[in-house]
Amino acid sequence: MNSLERVAATVNFKTPDRTPVIAQVFGHAAVLAGVPLGEYLCDGKKIAECQINALEHYGNDAVFALMDVNVETEAVGSRLKYSENEYFSIDSYAVSDKIDIDKLEVPNPEKAGRMPELLKAARLLRREVGDDVVVVGNAIGPLTITTQLLGMEKALYLAMDYPDVFVKLLDFSTEVCMTLGNALIQSGAHLVIVFDPSASSSVVPPGFFRELELPRLKKVFASFKQAGSTASWLHVAGQIKKILPYYPEIGVDIANIDYYVSPEDVKKILPNMCVNGNIKSLSFTDATPEGIASESANLLGNLEDRGGFILSSGCEIMPNAHVENIEAMVAAVR
Amino acid sequence: MTMENIHENELVMKRLFENIVEGDLGMSVASAEKLYSNGVNAETIVTQCVEPAMKSLNDKCTVDNFNLLEIMLSGRAVMSVMKILFLSKKFPDTTIGTVVLATMEGDAHDLGKNILKMVLTASRYKVVDCGKNCSVEKLIDAASAEEDLLVIGISGLITSTIPLLQKVKEILVKNNLGHIKIMAGGAALKQATAESLKVDYLGETAFDGLDYIRSLHN
Repeated sequence: MNSLERVAATVNFKTPDRTPVIAQVFGHAAVLAGVPLGEYLCDGKKIAECQINALEHYGNDAVFALMDVNVETEAVGSRLKYSENEYFSIDSYAVSDKIDIDKLEVPNPEKAGRMPELLKAARLLRREVGDDVVVVGNAIGPLTITTQLLGMEKALYLAMDYPDVFVKLLDFSTEVCMTLGNALIQSGAHLVIVFDPSASSSVVPPGFFRELELPRLKKVFASFKQAGSTASWLHVAGQIKKILPYYPEIGVDIANIDYYVSPEDVKKILPNMCVNGNIKSLSFTDATPEGIASESANLLGNLEDRGGFILSSGCEIMPNAHVENIEAMVAAVR
Repeated sequence: MTMENIHENELVMKRLFENIVEGDLGMSVASAEKLYSNGVNAETIVTQCVEPAMKSLNDKCTVDNFNLLEIMLSGRAVMSVMKILFLSKKFPDTTIGTVVLATMEGDAHDLGKNILKMVLTASRYKVVDCGKNCSVEKLIDAASAEEDLLVIGISGLITSTIPLLQKVKEILVKNNLGHIKIMAGGAALKQATAESLKVDYLGETAFDGLDYIRSLHN
């Protein structure tokens, strides 16, 4: 089986030739190739080259057309603080009190901000790996785009104080998410992983998620499926045990699980859904290869027989992670 | 004060407690104003309404149940109540200790720090806020300026600030401030240990930080 077939079999609870392993290597791919992170985050060609280099080095099952969580908010109008060797941060938010939300325009992915470079990365990666390896595009979820447009504090207060205005902005963010995700699929991504850290139960209560984010994520993934996505992959970080029961209704095929959620929880709450996870991200920087090997073996022992399991970190593997630690995780499935 | 007044004040105090726990800004402010105009002193309102409300949130605030939104709403209500109560008064009269807070250089996220500030202020600590993107030098200057500093609290959302955080203790020692405790918390740091971060305490939530600070002087 090649990587795409292996992941597809796993998502459908069929027996793959081995358990897939997906190292969530994004900025680390730049560090591995000796490319400054700041250049990587702005250049689709560099992203593709570094991802291919990481794929050849680690031999895991996916490559990522992915920059950071600020691509969408920048394209709408937020100003970023660029940095040579760090992830960019937001200097000023696109939506202020003076902005009329009705007049916001959904950015065109072929033109706005760094989106064209992201699409280029997807195109180049697909051209390079064809249908052998999974090409994963990335879009940010509606709630997280909203918090990135306004700032977390303002966005959450807006949700409580002026719910109608908040919902309007959330709908706008949903369109932004769908437009970019669909463009990524058309550019060659087999699927789009949706990052939605602001939807975590550590940020908003499960009831808020159910009422406001669930229907919008459902709409997002339905549109991706219609555009040809091979699977719907949702990545909400942190404590998400209480929102996992909503995942089937959203149409999720692969649920990212961080270290807060145990294999036992997965078996109980999502018996029929493929999951990926859940080694602590920081362990790839702090732990030893032996520690990672042992944690990987535990996870495989717990979830391999159940099926529908992709060995992975619970969140992004940091740019400065130790190469040997990632190698140890990949080696665990061989 | 008549029995009727006392009874009314008790009811409003109960209501203020509930308003804060529910994060109702408008009602919290209205209840606090009512109590203040009825002659209830600020310290009574803080010790009998604000602090118990924060304790109730603390009890609710486990790893499984914590969520930023509810804490922010209650925190906002508390800060507005505190502004009404202490607008024209010297705040230090009511404080029980001083804490310096910061988000380190390279990290522009200060929401976690701001929540801790609200929780500590509501619990009558004086908070010296060094802001976000704070250099070690600024942090040391702020710590040196406080005579009875209990602790330096550092919040971090992104892991790239960890190397800088790991140096703070060493720099404090070099500046003859090695006795000052350091506590840390925030999304990026939760996966680490206090030992690996070279701090005295690592908390999961703002209330863990409050408990730790209390343990330093109780």
